[in-house]
Amino acid sequence: MTTTTLLGELKKRGVKVRRRGERLLLSDLHGALTPELRAAIDAHREELLATLDGGERSTVRSVDSVCPYCGVGCAIRYFVDEAENRIRYADGRESPVNHERLCVKGRFGFDYTSHPQRLQTPLIRKESSYPKGPLSTEVRGERRRRSGGLVDYEEVLPHFREATWEEALDLAATRLVEIRDRDGSGALAGFGSAKCSNEEAYLFQKLVRAAFGTNNVDHCTRLCHASSVAALLETIGSGAVTTVFGDVQTADVALIAGSNTTGNHPVAATFIKQARKSGRTKLIVVEPRRIEMADHADYFLQINPGTDVVLYNSWMHVLIEEGLIDEAYIADRTEGFEELKAVVESYSPEVAAGICGVESGLIREAARTFGRAERAMIFWGMGISQHTHGTDNARCLISLALMTGNIGREGTGLHPLRGQNNVQGASDAGVIPMVYPDYQSVADPAVREKFEQAWGVELDPKPGLTVVEIMGGALDGVIKGMYMMGENPFLSDPNVNKVRKALSNLEFLVVQDIFLTETAEFADVILPATSFFEKSGTYTNSDRRVQVGRKALQPPGGARTDWEITCEIGARMGYPMEYGSPEEVFSEFTALAPSYAGLTYDNLGLTGKLWPCPDPSEDGTQVLFGDRFPTASGRGKFVPAEFAPAKELPDKEYPFVLNTGRRLEHWHTGTMTRRSRALHAIRPGPVADMHPADLEALGVEDGGIVEVASRRGSIVLPAVPSDRMLRGAVFIPFHFREAAANLLTIDELDPVGKIPEYKFCAVRVSPAS
Amino acid sequence: MATRRSGEQMISLSIDGRAVQVLPGATIWEAARLLGIGLPVLCHDPRLEPVGVCRLCLVEVGEPKLTAACVRGAEDGMEVRTSSERLEACRRGLVELLLSDYPVDASDRPKTGSDALVELAAELGVDWPARRWSGETGEAPGSRTEPAGGIPAGDGRALDGTSKVIFVDHQACILCDRCIRGCDDLQVNEVMGRTGKGYQTSIAFDLDVPMGESTCVSCGECEKVCPTGALSLVGWEGPPNDAAGSGDVGWEVL
Repeated sequence: MTTTTLLGELKKRGVKVRRRGERLLLSDLHGALTPELRAAIDAHREELLATLDGGERSTVRSVDSVCPYCGVGCAIRYFVDEAENRIRYADGRESPVNHERLCVKGRFGFDYTSHPQRLQTPLIRKESSYPKGPLSTEVRGERRRRSGGLVDYEEVLPHFREATWEEALDLAATRLVEIRDRDGSGALAGFGSAKCSNEEAYLFQKLVRAAFGTNNVDHCTRLCHASSVAALLETIGSGAVTTVFGDVQTADVALIAGSNTTGNHPVAATFIKQARKSGRTKLIVVEPRRIEMADHADYFLQINPGTDVVLYNSWMHVLIEEGLIDEAYIADRTEGFEELKAVVESYSPEVAAGICGVESGLIREAARTFGRAERAMIFWGMGISQHTHGTDNARCLISLALMTGNIGREGTGLHPLRGQNNVQGASDAGVIPMVYPDYQSVADPAVREKFEQAWGVELDPKPGLTVVEIMGGALDGVIKGMYMMGENPFLSDPNVNKVRKALSNLEFLVVQDIFLTETAEFADVILPATSFFEKSGTYTNSDRRVQVGRKALQPPGGARTDWEITCEIGARMGYPMEYGSPEEVFSEFTALAPSYAGLTYDNLGLTGKLWPCPDPSEDGTQVLFGDRFPTASGRGKFVPAEFAPAKELPDKEYPFVLNTGRRLEHWHTGTMTRRSRALHAIRPGPVADMHPADLEALGVEDGGIVEVASRRGSIVLPAVPSDRMLRGAVFIPFHFREAAANLLTIDELDPVGKIPEYKFCAVRVSPAS
Repeated sequence: MATRRSGEQMISLSIDGRAVQVLPGATIWEAARLLGIGLPVLCHDPRLEPVGVCRLCLVEVGEPKLTAACVRGAEDGMEVRTSSERLEACRRGLVELLLSDYPVDASDRPKTGSDALVELAAELGVDWPARRWSGETGEAPGSRTEPAGGIPAGDGRALDGTSKVIFVDHQACILCDRCIRGCDDLQVNEVMGRTGKGYQTSIAFDLDVPMGESTCVSCGECEKVCPTGALSLVGWEGPPNDAAGSGDVGWEVL
């Protein structure tokens, strides 16, 4: 196509075009482009590149994709410099999710993908570096004088030699097969990743189940919303949100429980704040920290850490006492109300006030506001889930919604804000030890038979182990071989000292990642994978919206996509997995997952679709459970919960309560965000937040260095006074390896959700010289 | 735009002789857009509540005064003209005034926002920067020139480079309030506002502290909506230079 013809064709389709000689500037390149036209644009770019001089070669191509960070799943357009294979800048694009808005991570945090430390060649541990153990100073648990931000490549890389893909994959497969055949399938386990696509998650669990022969496959959902999902499945029969977060604009009341929304789901928070500001929606925030959301709240209840059950039981007590419940809904749609009523009877606001540290009058006021709302939505985060009674916390919130008839209509519902960009999808795809894709139980013989037929192998009927149980298994020697795709448990799992021993104890470990992580120091084989930007796949956000992430960059060196690597390992273990593209994988997955039925890459388009999507010409189902719940009886079930304190309460020796979490600018173990120029510049290192009076009592100045110690370990970092904290509380983010918060955390688990108690353990704080 | 409710009467009006029907509550700007008539605008963005401060979308509605289409509601039977010699002259005059102390280098800075002001000058044939007030360019930041007549002008307004991601050039700001609405109404971070009086008026962060010391969360919304490059990117290249000045974000360059 000549430049002139192309120009005409583009203009006809509403694309804004300007001509500068043979060069064209294009804008408003939306879905209207046909594949032929897209090809013509690409061909033109190629021709131009061939004729331009070096200095003029820069061409920029836009790629409509999604954000790689949190569960909000903002739609982003990346502008890619093709000659230099890097993203120049990013901008939010129109979508029902974010309406062009982004947060600091989405807008500025993409450059990690072009960081020079990207792994490019498979690595094999040198003979001289056995027996295995940590390789860098920090991971060994020693402190260095200069503060270290990232894994020191110079310290770690000499312990590995470069290998070909053939050699590395053969070694990985041979050793895994060896362990499987010698010690049985149960000696193997895999950690998938909620950062990978649905297709990669599906293939990963298929590999573990069909080729490893075990259900020991889990991922970080275990560490974020496992307890919420357990409670949701038990009560309303489905682990996903019942409505989208944007629905808040039609709610009369929004309750935010245990979620630092502006920090962890910033763009979702903008819609909640906007609803509040419009005057339409009243906002109730319950949190032990006076987070930014509290500044926008009509009611803010700064409860003592770990007392959520008491607070919500007392709300329910008030609602029942004052008749602010929906009798008809309870009668028609629920079961077990009498049992609940009996339990909450003893939780008067006056009783709760003493435990929660909030005035009984405020408890009553907030409960009434919630109870009087025609439409109320409940949002919650890790502050609810990451407790040894996390399932109980979630049960209370669900009961609250059921009792007031707040599920199944516009402006009502339950929305556990999902953490990772694809934690919903990885769970949907079955990277969970008890269920196959779409939450179909491995213990159900009929279900198992269906998957055995689909995958052509016999499958293990026994549910597998969860994340922390697998680490325990490694420590005990029950788990001998592991395959980790994009997870970094060394920093993300509780009680790092124990994780260190567990990882060292593994006979064989394959780590597949984009950077050398702390966990990779324990690997026998390291496989270099592609980043989010270097592959295509689908990702499912917190709203259940399935969106296509499109390839923007070429992978560096020899890095390969996660799904291809998984298939290669399968083939070498005697289980062929052959796919031509992620789309092929997606259609195999959707055929086995009824919730995803009807979805294809084509109909997902630029803004994706919500599952379930009975009519793919529509956007999918926003509000679930208008008539019945997907439980055996079709009713929602009240499951009462009694208060139980956290496992490790403060005492004389360890008088402070440690709370861990994230900062706005960083992501989890920091492998991505600490390699982003802007994010690192804004927040270069760890600090502990403490109440000013506590710091003063310790004689520590603003920014003074403290040692924070628990029964499991200790770290040293600067402390800053924050009047957003309660007395006796410490908040430390877990991103920073030089002061890894998870050295301190306790590996006690919620008995149902098997989630660790990241939000509560006892620590001592002292000035460090 | 107002969403349709059943039983609501549509409003009929004509714009440049073409008939159009809109829902009650729609503005003239929105009605014009339905007809594919793009009115020049600096302060308005469909995602923001209109404020009508730049006055570039002025139209004639048969009244003695011109009216700003972005804030003026469409009325039944209204006859709107979007272009005339009088309107062109007004718009040219407005752009000329806005550019009279606009620093020449602001449009070169990397940005995801636009250079709508400079673009508009080109479209309207405003002879800029030749007719820049002080007639000079490139004064050192922080200096203030006092041109004849004693009206403060020149390049005296501050540069703020304290944020790690966004650079602020107050001299390039035309006080269109887009950044303030982006920050306060869309993202609801409520960090930005206005401070000062008269020529000293400027956008401000928190209680007028440098951006990098404010409670700004670096979401970038202000930079994205800025039409002049007063807010630009630090450390990012943004679009290549030949796409800058395009008046719209999201350019591919071939």
